[in-house]
Amino acid sequence: MVRRRVAITGLGLVSPFGGDLADFFSRLCAGETAIRYLLTDDQPRPLSIPFVACPAFDADAVLGKPLAAMMDRFAQLGMAAAFDAWDSAGLPRSAGEESRDDWGVSWGTALGGTLAYEKGYRELWQRGRERLSPLSVLLGMNNAANAHISIQLGLGGASTSHTVACASSAVAIGEAFRRVRSGEATVMVTGGSDVPQAYGVARAWEALRVMAPGNAETSPTACRPFASDRRGLVLGEGGAALVLEDWDHALDRGASIHGEIVGYGASCDHSHLVRPEAAGQVRAMQAALADAGLAADDVGYVNAHGTATAEGDPVEIAALKSVFGERAKTLPVSATKSMHGHLLGAAGAIEAIASVLALRDDTLPPTINLDGNLDPACTGVEHLTGACHGAAVRAALSNSFAFGGSNAVLVFRAVRQ
Amino acid sequence: MNSIALIREFLDERLGVASEKVVPDALLVDLGVDSLMMLELMFAFEDRFGIKVPSDLENPRSVGDMVAAMDGLIAAAGAH
Repeated sequence: MVRRRVAITGLGLVSPFGGDLADFFSRLCAGETAIRYLLTDDQPRPLSIPFVACPAFDADAVLGKPLAAMMDRFAQLGMAAAFDAWDSAGLPRSAGEESRDDWGVSWGTALGGTLAYEKGYRELWQRGRERLSPLSVLLGMNNAANAHISIQLGLGGASTSHTVACASSAVAIGEAFRRVRSGEATVMVTGGSDVPQAYGVARAWEALRVMAPGNAETSPTACRPFASDRRGLVLGEGGAALVLEDWDHALDRGASIHGEIVGYGASCDHSHLVRPEAAGQVRAMQAALADAGLAADDVGYVNAHGTATAEGDPVEIAALKSVFGERAKTLPVSATKSMHGHLLGAAGAIEAIASVLALRDDTLPPTINLDGNLDPACTGVEHLTGACHGAAVRAALSNSFAFGGSNAVLVFRAVRQ
Repeated sequence: MNSIALIREFLDERLGVASEKVVPDALLVDLGVDSLMMLELMFAFEDRFGIKVPSDLENPRSVGDMVAAMDGLIAAAGAH
């Protein structure tokens, strides 16, 4: 079986912090938060939970009005992130002489175009309309983002969308990785985007009682993974993209290589929709390490799923201790969701980017709001409560564990150029 | 607002087409209106004028054709 090396040549995002990739990572390492208390005026009743948003993102300015008008916001965020990653990879937007028949897209979204659907329902039920915009289906469909990315970049290979709740973009990245590694694809754009701020979606999540409470004053500290006083997760919108490329193709064109993706493992707890099980997470991590050909001792950083839910955090720590054994005590772990929030279908991708940058820049980002309040049930790993500079880590794991019991783990290796 | 004004507003908003180019003889396809945008434009007429565009209406080719077709539907709706 062919097993090609897979380079990460492009990184891009629309982050709740605003700004570019460098800004995103520097603010993560500075322990800043993008979590704010957001109230919108078009809701029947105000939502009293913190959210993460990208208020600086102007789709018309970034994409141009005609293109932006063809997309729901989740696809706009995805398209902008994909353009950002593509440009950073030094690839021209037009194919020119080179065939892109085996270049593709693998995209994650948990929700798809829920804003478009909600707008449609309002038209039908509230305004009593009989007809909807002919764009409704095309705005709402889950594969809208990957379809637009394929069209805009002229990518003729497989274009797929992956809906696996919180693990959507981790699965999307893993599947893209496999396509390149097997030789089926030369280049893959992969990542994810989501917008959970549709009123109905937000209310549905609220009903699950997993959302952290917060007001204007307390929102910045609302998300506290692994802390004894954690109260739940903070959802938000965003988009994140990576360009994965056949190693030799990247070298031949003189591309800068940010890092290497070397492993992907997936599993299902097969036990409960919302109660995670360590055994399932262990299987995913072990599968990812085996896929990468790495031992537990080779891993120097874990970007945890770390949502700050009561049940989820201790289970993940137990799984890490099971996989890493004695090494777990000195294993650096952080949950960057404490700063950028839980971006659902973009979560795995933005955390993959954080992991790749941690390896590339020798700096490990922290978990914030974890200062003297560590939950005894979450002990046994080295929690990073501040950035770790000069880390010189060789490999990192990025965990994504979803409702439904679906688990996806990615393994990245540092590239010293 | 009349029909040609709506077409001008729509094409300016969606494609940035200058108003002076939206004249009766101009072909809609030359102005950038593809099959999907034609549906959107018809929907804009339904929305703005409270009419129903029949599903078997033949796609108008020019701005003038569209104005004539829409004006006919608006007049018919007003007569009821």
